[in-house]
Amino acid sequence: MILYHGEILENHKQSEKLKSLRNDCYKTLQAQDRLNIDDVVMACDKLAQKVKQGAYDDLILPLLEEFDIPYDYFLNHMPMFEKDALFKKMEIELGKDYQSLEGLNEHVQRKIYPLGILFHIAAGNVDALPAYSVIEGLLAGNINILKLPSGDRGVSVKLLSELIEIEPKLKPYIYVFDVPSTELETLKMFADIADAIIVWGGDVAVKAARSMASVTTKIIEWGHKLSFGYATLDASDEDLIGIANHMAMTNQVLCSSAQGIFVDTDSREELDQFADRFFKIFIDVNRKHKPIPFGMKSKNALQLYNEKLEQHETRKKIWQQDGISVMTSDDSNLELSMLFRSIWIKMLPKEHIITTLKPHKNHLQTVGLMVSRNDYQTYASLLIHAGVTRLTKANNMSRMITGESHDGSFPLRLYTKVVELEK
Amino acid sequence: MMKRRYARKLFNLKRPYDLKKSDDLFCLAMRENAMYHYNNCEDYKRILDEANFDPTNIESIDDLIDLPFIPTLYFKHHELFSKPLWKMPIKATSSGTSTGFKSKIALSVGDLWRGFKMIKRLFAVHKLWSMRPVTYLIFGYEPTKHSDAGIMKTAYGFTYVAPAKKRIYAIRYSKEKGYQVDLEHMKQAFISASKKRTPIRTIGFPAYTYFLLKEMEAEGIKLTMPKGSKITVGGGWKQFYAEKVDKQEFYRLVHDVLGIKEKNCVEFFGAVEHPILYIDCEHHHFHVPAYARVIIRDPDTFKPVPNGQIGLINLLTPMVEGTPLLSIMTDDLGILHDEGCSCGAQSPWLEIIGRVGIKDITTCAQGAEDLLKS
Repeated sequence: MILYHGEILENHKQSEKLKSLRNDCYKTLQAQDRLNIDDVVMACDKLAQKVKQGAYDDLILPLLEEFDIPYDYFLNHMPMFEKDALFKKMEIELGKDYQSLEGLNEHVQRKIYPLGILFHIAAGNVDALPAYSVIEGLLAGNINILKLPSGDRGVSVKLLSELIEIEPKLKPYIYVFDVPSTELETLKMFADIADAIIVWGGDVAVKAARSMASVTTKIIEWGHKLSFGYATLDASDEDLIGIANHMAMTNQVLCSSAQGIFVDTDSREELDQFADRFFKIFIDVNRKHKPIPFGMKSKNALQLYNEKLEQHETRKKIWQQDGISVMTSDDSNLELSMLFRSIWIKMLPKEHIITTLKPHKNHLQTVGLMVSRNDYQTYASLLIHAGVTRLTKANNMSRMITGESHDGSFPLRLYTKVVELEK
Repeated sequence: MMKRRYARKLFNLKRPYDLKKSDDLFCLAMRENAMYHYNNCEDYKRILDEANFDPTNIESIDDLIDLPFIPTLYFKHHELFSKPLWKMPIKATSSGTSTGFKSKIALSVGDLWRGFKMIKRLFAVHKLWSMRPVTYLIFGYEPTKHSDAGIMKTAYGFTYVAPAKKRIYAIRYSKEKGYQVDLEHMKQAFISASKKRTPIRTIGFPAYTYFLLKEMEAEGIKLTMPKGSKITVGGGWKQFYAEKVDKQEFYRLVHDVLGIKEKNCVEFFGAVEHPILYIDCEHHHFHVPAYARVIIRDPDTFKPVPNGQIGLINLLTPMVEGTPLLSIMTDDLGILHDEGCSCGAQSPWLEIIGRVGIKDITTCAQGAEDLLKS
C-alpha cells in the first residue's frame, strides 16, 4: 500500500506516482498558504482521542499483544499525542518563544522555518514508528516522504491516512511509498528531492543513506543503540525487580532495552553471587509476563546448550530456567544479549567505565542506574562522559515522557532552521 | 581400525522406508559409530564424558535419546574430525546463512560410499534415475576452486542422476565480481529449452526458483517444457524465510509458467551436518529413511515430544566416520508425523516449520551490535 495526496493506492500505482513526486512537492513549497502547525497539532489530538475510544483496536491490540504491552500502559501514553503535550514538546524543543523569536536587533528578525522536504527511512522494529517519524516532521512544518520498512504491516499508512481524513490540509505533506531497499535508483531520487534524510536503523541503513545522499542533502541519523543496567553489589531488591520487569517486558529489542547488567566489581566470585541473586528475582518476575515466543525461546535454548559445550574454554557461567537465562563471564565487553530474556551480567568497576565504554560513544543510550543515592552523581557523571544519553530508574528504561530528547538531541530542532530576515 | 560392519549393513538395506525392521540394526550401527568417534575425536570424547554418557551402553533405540547431540552452531566454531584430514576426499562447508559462520565437515571414502549406496537406493525408489540426457538448470552456485560449499557439491553430484547435456547456473562466478545471482540468464534458458526436445531438470534453492517464476508470471510468460522435465528443489529457503511461500503456490507457479505437473516437482532436504537425503513423496512428505532417525525435542527440556508436536529437529545417523555427526541438532523447528501416508512409505514424515528465531529480527539494539563489530 502507498499513500499519495491522501489516497491509499495499490503498490503497482507506485511507479506512475514517483514521476510526479518532485513536482508535487515543489508545488507545495511554492504555495503561499503554508501548513499551520496548530492544524497539525489539532489533527494529532483528534487522532489520539479516536485511538483512546478504541477506533483502531483491531490494528493496535495485535501489536500490544506482540510486544507484551498492557492496554492500560498504552492508553496512559496516548496523552503524549494530545494537544497539550504536543505544544509542550514544541516549547521544550524549539524554545518557548518559537513562534515569535526575538530579533537580533531592530533590523534583523528571526523566524523558525521547516527544512522543507524530509525523506524518512524508517526502521521496522516498532510498527507505528514510521508514522511517528512523519508526525515529528509535520510538527516542524515539513513535507514528508516515507519509505516503509520491509515487512511493514500497514499500521503507519492507516494512521497517516486517518490523520489526513481528520485534516485534509495535510494531503500535500505526506507521501508514503513501499520501495524495497534494493531499489537504489528510486531511493536516490527521494534523497535528491529531500533537504534531509531521516534514517532510523542499523549500520546497513545508515551507510546506505550516506551513499545515496548528495552533498546538498543533510543526514539525520537515529541509529541503533545499546542500553544496559549498571549496579553496585548492594543494589536494592526493588531495583533488581524493576530491571527484571523491564527486561521481560521489552525482550531486549528496543534501543532502550537493557541487554544486561554491568556490576561495579572486579571479583568474579562477587559477580556470580550477584547474578545468582538477580536470577532468582528474574524467575519470579518472568512468571508474571507473557511467555517468550516459541521460536525465540528455541533459538536461545540452542545457543545456551552450545555455550555449555564451550564452557571449559570460555569460563562462562549460565543460570537457566523457564526459557530465561543469565550468563556471567570474565570480560567487560558491551554486547547485544541473546535477546528475549537471555541476558548477560558482567564486571565493570567504576574506574574502568570510561575506558571500556567510551569506544562505543555513539552507540550508547540508556542506563538503568542501581546505586545508592549518595553515589548517584559519581556514577552518573562517569557514564555520561562515556557517552550515555539517558539515565533512568531501573524499571523505567523504556519510559517515554513528553519533551524528552531522542538520543541526546531534539528532533524538531534538527528538522527546522532559523532564518534571519533583514528588512 | 574398527570395521563398520553394522553401518555397511544398514546402508545396504533393500527397503529404505521400513524403520521398524531396521531399528535394531540402526541402534547397533549408532553404537559402533559412537564408539569410533569417542576413541578418535578428543572433543567428542569430552562432550560425552561431561554428559556421563558411555557409548558402549547404547543397547536400544531409546538409549539414543540420551546420546548428547551437537548443535550445528557448534560445528560453525569448532572443527571436529575423527580421521586425519589428508585421508578425507571431501571437505564441505555449510552455506553459513544463520550466523555468517560455516560448518566445516569432512567425509571419508567410506562415508562417500555409504552416501552413494543411499542415493542409489532412494533414487530408484523415487524413480529419479534416467538414461535420457537432460539440460540442468541449477539454481545454485557455479562450481569453482573458490568455494567448498557442500550444497554446490551436492548440486553438481545430482547432475549425474541423468546424463547432463548442459549445465546452466543461476549464481555465476566471475573474477571481477565474485558470485552474482543472474536470474535473467536462467529465464532465457527456460525459454530456449521450451523450444527444444531435451527435457530439463532444475536443481537448487527453491527461493531463487520461486522468485524467477514469479517474475516470469508477472511478465505473462507461459511455457511448455519438453516431456520428462522435472523441477527439483533443495537446500531450504535460506535467507528468504520471510518470503517463504506456501508449497501449493509454488507448484501452481511451476504448472502455470513452465507447464510442468505437480507430480514432477520433487523437493530434497538435507544438511551438510547431516548428509542424509530426504526426498518428498508424491504427497510432498519427507519420510525418514532407514539410515536416519529424527527426534523432535522440547526447547525447554530437550526431552522428546510426542509425534505431532512442534519442537527442535534432532537428526541422527551412523553414516559418517570423518566427523562426529551421529546426533546433530539443527536450528530448525519441525513436527514428526506418524499418521500414515497414502504413498505407502511406512516411516513417519518430517514437516519442517522453519528456522528458530530469525537472524534479522528487527531490533535497534541488534543494529548497534553489528556496528560495534564493524
